[in-house]
Amino acid sequence: MPNIKLQSSDGEIYNVDVEIAKCSVTIKTMLEDLGMDEDEEEVVPLPNVNSAILKKVIQWATYHKDDPPPPEDDENKEKRTDDISSWDADFLKVDQGTLFELILAANYLDIKGLLDVTCKTVANMIKGKTPEEIRKTFNIKNDFSAAEEEQVRKENEWCEEK
Amino acid sequence: MCDDVWGQLAVERSQVYIDDGTGVLRSPFAGTTIEKLPDKVLLNIFSYLSHREICLLARVNKKWRQIAYDTRLWKDVSLRPDISGLHVGSLESLLALISIRFGPTLRYIELPIELITHTVLHELANKCPNLTHMLLDFSTAMQLHDFSELQTFPTKLRYLCICLSEVIFMEGFMRKIYNFINGLEVLHLIGTYEKVEEEEEEIYEVINVHKLKSATPNLRVINLYGINFVDDSHIDAFSSNCIQLECLAVNYCNKVTGSTLKTVFQRSKRLTCLLMNGTSLHSEHVMAVEWDKSSIQELDITATDLSTECLIDMLTRIPSLRFLRAGQINGFNDSVLKAWMEQGVTKNLVALDLDSSDNITDEGLHKFLAKNGNQLLGLVLSGMPHITDQLWMSVLPILNNARILMMGTPERLGVNIHVDQLMDGIATHCLKLERLELRWDPENLRFSDKSQKAIDTIRVKCLKLKSFVLSDGRYYEIVKANFERADRMTVVRTSTSCRTSIYYLLQNYRDLIFN
Repeated sequence: MPNIKLQSSDGEIYNVDVEIAKCSVTIKTMLEDLGMDEDEEEVVPLPNVNSAILKKVIQWATYHKDDPPPPEDDENKEKRTDDISSWDADFLKVDQGTLFELILAANYLDIKGLLDVTCKTVANMIKGKTPEEIRKTFNIKNDFSAAEEEQVRKENEWCEEK
Repeated sequence: MCDDVWGQLAVERSQVYIDDGTGVLRSPFAGTTIEKLPDKVLLNIFSYLSHREICLLARVNKKWRQIAYDTRLWKDVSLRPDISGLHVGSLESLLALISIRFGPTLRYIELPIELITHTVLHELANKCPNLTHMLLDFSTAMQLHDFSELQTFPTKLRYLCICLSEVIFMEGFMRKIYNFINGLEVLHLIGTYEKVEEEEEEIYEVINVHKLKSATPNLRVINLYGINFVDDSHIDAFSSNCIQLECLAVNYCNKVTGSTLKTVFQRSKRLTCLLMNGTSLHSEHVMAVEWDKSSIQELDITATDLSTECLIDMLTRIPSLRFLRAGQINGFNDSVLKAWMEQGVTKNLVALDLDSSDNITDEGLHKFLAKNGNQLLGLVLSGMPHITDQLWMSVLPILNNARILMMGTPERLGVNIHVDQLMDGIATHCLKLERLELRWDPENLRFSDKSQKAIDTIRVKCLKLKSFVLSDGRYYEIVKANFERADRMTVVRTSTSCRTSIYYLLQNYRDLIFN
């Protein structure tokens, strides 16, 4: 199995099976564009991902290397959040900062499976909470003035419970 | 319950810190908050939440409001509060929403009778050029609105579902829309079968099928569900004008006898799927059909009175059947299975439902499954007291491709089901399993202290399992707790809240979904 070297933002280098690395569309495109797959000595720099996160991403990609490719975004697809596999759920038992770093990395590296499962996890954290509880959970500042708050409440009162 | 767990997890997550080796506990990424996520990612997160929740998210802060109002989150909108949709209190708010929030990305809308007015329909026609799917629910109507001023109607509809009331005549509305719906490919007319408790005295033909069919020449899928006035002449009418017809469903239309099926098949060469559950099919009509020349692949004749002779005649003539639902038929016995297997074509069969077929023996089934079991994606053998874990244990080794399995009967049995061994067998052989239902009475399920291990095995091996239905009882509690400990929250359900079906395996399953 050919390997490639991935370099994190803080200079760590990881030797990764090419097939596993290619679950990142960003890396796959880079390899194709640069014709790098022949040259094993080349190092792929990933300036937006630090080593702790890169390590986790590689761990995720290794576990999921035999997964079928994720389905294209389908208009009719039922969007469920309760289908997170137990391995993924365990894998994502991390602090909020790490979870968001993983999302940023999945977004930058364009790994759809990882992005979907991390987004679902955040959606599950949001579910069933009031706006105030959401702000508290995620440490979000309320930037509405009292008048604006009343306005936005009105804009959405139609979809409150009957 | 589920929400609490996630809420707890969210709190824990904000408190978990990683030991960075210096002995000081802190998260290296404490500075990375949700506000660092790009809008595109927040949009993705919001897309997993219901519209009611998205409305709450709009009140968090300005950025979240902007994303919550993104029209891409408002493509499919249900406004029927009785069926888990949103409740829009007034026509004014709906008109405002159509122009501000739904706009050009709206693809599907469900409207209850109160909101179906000519102004709303005008607004949808003008502001939502991509509206292709619509459901109009008239089922609770006491009176039809006045549609005399209705001038326009969405013109790009491919899918239309109309829920009929028993007593409201639709023609006043329908004649206004005939000119706009000739692009329709999928039509659902939903009757009141489920709501009727007693025999009604008078049956009204509330919608004019003969006029409707002239306006809809491009229909591929027609679903007439539980409509008390629909009979063979209506089926004939549709088939006379819809040469594209691929799928015809008339489940629970009990006036249908099949008298026009012969001509339907002669005209509709593309008809591959015919669903006639709970109809009054006559054997002689069914035998008159030229099955050998048909392209039929999927057939539902559950709960009909077809004779053994008719079943043998039909099944041995159909050239390529992939889906058969034929439960609750007295005439379906071993000789039917034998004739079908020996003289018919079963090599394409992927889904079989023989629920409550009391006249089939376990020996007959075993022979049939020994030959065809390996190709089956779905198998339902429920409702038969004489089919126990014994038969299942003997056929599981060949059911390697099964995605849907349903077994057991709620009747109390004289023997007990060794559920641990059964679970082990399923976990060993059916790795592709997605839906499983065990209908046995909880009192008949024998399990031991080794149960947890068997449940662990099925949970770990059958990773695609997304629905596991059991009768409420002690065993259900054990399985549910086991799956929930592994964060697979909604997999295990009771048979009162969920029923497994092989309908998922229909090729047109998506087009057939309504409600």
